[in-house]
Amino acid sequence: MKRTGVFICWCGSNIAATVDIELAVAAAKNMPGVVFADQNKYMCSEIGQEIIKEAIRSHRLERVVVASCSPRMHENTFRKTVAAAGLNPYFLEIANVREQCSWVHKDKETATAKAIALIRTAVAKALRNEALFASELPIERRALVIGGGIAGIQAALDIADSGFVVDLVEKEPSIGGRMAQLDKTFPTLDCSACILTPKMVEVAQSEKITLFTYAEIEKVEGYVGNFTVTVRNRARSVDMSKCTGCGDCMLKCPVKVDSEFDLGLVKRRAIYTPFPQAVPNKPAIDREHCRWFTENKCRVCEKICPAGAIDYSQEDELMTVKYGAIVAATGFDPKKLGNYGEYAYGKHPDVLTSLEFERLLNASGPTAGKILRPSNGRPPKNVAFIQCVGSRDKAKGNPYCAKVCCMYTAKHAILLCEKVPGARPFVFYIDVRTPGKDYEEFYNRAYEEYGATYIKGNVSKVFPDGDKLLVRSVDALSGALVELEVEMVVLANSVDARAGAKELAQKLSITTNAFNFFNEAHPKLRPVETHTAGIFLAGTCQGPKDIPETVAQASAAAMKVTALLGKDSLLSTPTVAEVDEKLCTGDMSCLVVCPYGAISEKILEERRGRETVRRKVAEVNMVLCQGCGACTVACRPGAINLKGFTNEQIMAEVEAICL
Amino acid sequence: MPVTREGFEPLIVAFCCNWCSYAGADLAGTSRQPYPSNVRVIRVPCSGRVNPSFIIRAFQRGADGVLVAGCHPGDCHYHSGNYHARRRFTILKQLLEYLGIEPERFQVRWISGSEGAKFSAVMNELTENVRKLGQNRKLRDAR
Amino acid sequence: MSTASEKLRASAAEALACGRVSLVLGWRKKDFWWQSPVAFVEAAAEAEQLSFDPFSVYNPVKYLLEATECHEKVGVFVKGCDSRGINRLLQDKRLEREQVLIFGLPCSGKADPAKIRAVFPAQKIREVAQEGEELLVRLTDGQERVAAADFLLEKCLTCRHPNPVVFDELLWEPVPVRAGVDVSRFARVNSVAQKEILERYTYWARQFDRCIRCFACRNTCPACNCRSCIFDQAEPRWLGKASDLADTMNYQIIRAFHVAGRCFECGECERICPAGIPLQEMNRRLIMDIDKYFGPYEAGLDAGDSPPLGTYRGEDPAGFDES
Repeated sequence: MKRTGVFICWCGSNIAATVDIELAVAAAKNMPGVVFADQNKYMCSEIGQEIIKEAIRSHRLERVVVASCSPRMHENTFRKTVAAAGLNPYFLEIANVREQCSWVHKDKETATAKAIALIRTAVAKALRNEALFASELPIERRALVIGGGIAGIQAALDIADSGFVVDLVEKEPSIGGRMAQLDKTFPTLDCSACILTPKMVEVAQSEKITLFTYAEIEKVEGYVGNFTVTVRNRARSVDMSKCTGCGDCMLKCPVKVDSEFDLGLVKRRAIYTPFPQAVPNKPAIDREHCRWFTENKCRVCEKICPAGAIDYSQEDELMTVKYGAIVAATGFDPKKLGNYGEYAYGKHPDVLTSLEFERLLNASGPTAGKILRPSNGRPPKNVAFIQCVGSRDKAKGNPYCAKVCCMYTAKHAILLCEKVPGARPFVFYIDVRTPGKDYEEFYNRAYEEYGATYIKGNVSKVFPDGDKLLVRSVDALSGALVELEVEMVVLANSVDARAGAKELAQKLSITTNAFNFFNEAHPKLRPVETHTAGIFLAGTCQGPKDIPETVAQASAAAMKVTALLGKDSLLSTPTVAEVDEKLCTGDMSCLVVCPYGAISEKILEERRGRETVRRKVAEVNMVLCQGCGACTVACRPGAINLKGFTNEQIMAEVEAICL
Repeated sequence: MPVTREGFEPLIVAFCCNWCSYAGADLAGTSRQPYPSNVRVIRVPCSGRVNPSFIIRAFQRGADGVLVAGCHPGDCHYHSGNYHARRRFTILKQLLEYLGIEPERFQVRWISGSEGAKFSAVMNELTENVRKLGQNRKLRDAR
Repeated sequence: MSTASEKLRASAAEALACGRVSLVLGWRKKDFWWQSPVAFVEAAAEAEQLSFDPFSVYNPVKYLLEATECHEKVGVFVKGCDSRGINRLLQDKRLEREQVLIFGLPCSGKADPAKIRAVFPAQKIREVAQEGEELLVRLTDGQERVAAADFLLEKCLTCRHPNPVVFDELLWEPVPVRAGVDVSRFARVNSVAQKEILERYTYWARQFDRCIRCFACRNTCPACNCRSCIFDQAEPRWLGKASDLADTMNYQIIRAFHVAGRCFECGECERICPAGIPLQEMNRRLIMDIDKYFGPYEAGLDAGDSPPLGTYRGEDPAGFDES
């Protein structure tokens, strides 16, 4: 049995007033394994700590129990104390006799009895404590940012600015993301492109950033500091090193396809850049629509290209790179409105989503910035803006608030009034939500200065009426039925997680909520980290956000990345799970409950008689494991144990506490 | 502990998650919210670390009531430990009741680190309920 | 001899002769009429010993654990219940699908020797054979035909999957599921649950008091397939040595908990318990609660699904006071 010392703290009168210290010391001396017991007025004081160190030396103590305040208070203090005396810091146990005894009980007799029981329990555990060590791991000093919207751009720039190398991977042929589609931004009404494009160019020019557009994440392996990522560079069919970005090919290409960037309001060609300010400003061939790839004829772009950059023979290329940290910044999708037939979307050309309306506002959009009705090309007079389409809708949409719609609708109302003299915006809302600096003031301007009419009410139906649209609702404040004739309807459709978010989350071993937004490690205190160490979040992939929040989170994620990459090495928590291979059945019950992807299968080769047999067992990655212990209960044969909280220790505590 | 009905003092063993309920217990102490000394806490990293075997063993060795306390759903420090605990103890609790163990004797509660008053209230309630039931002999060692 | 047995022999002989497998697990007839233990056939010539009769009730699947250690591929005959045991082992990664050649045997239930003895004098019975939907009972002084359905094992009366759920070959046509099993399946559990709490405890204490800790329930259970069972471990000592009621209940509660969400209701634990402890009433109680709280789930139907105790949903209800 390990030679154990017990040190009981008075904590002035905090403990001593309620617990009979003399009695407790005497009782401790009789506990199994205890060879020494002492007391001090303040065990955490220098004198108190000296007593412990001295006793470890003179009594050759192997385990130490301090009965004092909560371990959440001074466990680290006393761990350092025992380490200073040459013991492993994990040979220490604390009996919490202040917060959980003397401070909550009044009767000295029963409080003393309980304190003794708690000390006995701590001793029982300490006798089974084993030396624990943190292990050190190297770090790959390169970061990966997934997604080239404003979040990814900001994160990449900030990481690069700290001197680390970053790869930015974007699925589309250009970076820019959703922000590039916007016209003006609230609450300042500065032009989105004017503030975004300089950052896009900065990315392209940064020596620290390597840009991979038209590329996707194929596979992610490894763990914090040591990820191995396979990236699929899709065949662009354009040799990036030869292409000068002159754009001749895009003029001559005979195939016209709905422009994704302009949401189908205009056509693009099969060889295209998504928008004029694209970075890189070099096109890609959309093989699904290109006549050469679909019908084996044409090759006009090849003939026209002065640089000879067209290369139909290109194939997807897989590259495998090691990274120390990853930022996921994959953004959102505007909600598809398939099941909102009541608003006549898709049935009448003058019913638009807010992002489509945004394109009408934009000078580089389909109408060169003029607000014109798609049906007849004339400016509308009355425009209805319907809020919360697919948001705050438990029945058939998202139950959550999409957060940005109230603000951009105020912006739309203002811009409508500025661009179409005499036009009148009518906003149908459930609640107007404007938390944010200068946001409420901006919304106030929309109705005070510009005369936007806000009507509290759900729109029940929009239907065509001649060349107009009739919007039917109830004014919830007066109870009156509202029927409004308008020339255009704009739907504030909700914010959905990006298509494919779930699949990416699986590749990254991070979790999502019910709506496929990536989960942060803690909603308040770890908002940019994920449960997988070394993977961070930026922007709307985590949940609806506006641009300032997105940028702030991206910079925070970048800071987390640089803090990680700036370390010499990583230290792992020593209280991690451990597999007893003898007992392990290999059914991997542990693996399925591990929230950190810290458990994997390993093939064990064993001698059995003259034969070598192979058998599957579980293996714990000590860096990924955070020590929750969920696996230990999932494991029926008790083959996986948690260091510092082993089955043996807890069983011994149970036995001792019940004595 | 005494066993006579009048002077009977139950033994309550509480497995508390380090990040929430254990902190809640500390807060009950810091804010001097008293509860009976019958309650004794075993600190675990997570409610998902609590093995049903620990609970049965506590009853075997003389616990009159056992509590598992963890973080509120959605707040687990380890993301999902309390969700696994919820499933495990939902069925364990039904099974124990089916075998004739009074429901008051085995309890699972969510108590956060900021709920010192709740920790204290739950301990008062639990102790009182178990005291009314008297000593537990079911599942208890013959020795 | 019945055509069923002949079909087993032919299939086994063929599989062994052409080298598809090097071992076949089935049943053979032993000395007494009620004995049909598991048979291990390693050569086509030995296939003659195979028999499928009203007592071929043992689940041969658990023997696959050892059999696959020394045979690359093993043939196995499975009834509906046995086949779910295969899925159990597949899901627990104790077996690879390509390690087994599965012959499926649709089964309308096995006979309970006790029920036969209750009608016919035990010393007079020489043989009991299946003939269609009847049992042919040969006695020392003649023979009689009775309806097989009247002599079924308790576990077969509540069987929801009489037809194999995983197999390579089906030896004969599927059989219909008995009517009313959805109700009868939980009838005993419900009747125990309706008792007052003290009565329930007394009921179970009386049952568990008879337990001799022979571990037969564990040993026969395909869901109990750990390499090392916690009940056999010394440190920590999960289970005390003393065979008092508390330790027995510890054993039975944890055993039931370990198979929760994994038990596929073959009922072998209860059938072979020498003390006659109604273990299915515990296992099925857990199934009821899993269905109630986490949604309907049947173990052993799909080796690729996720057992309810390894997964969760954020919105799961709790079976305790969540306030």
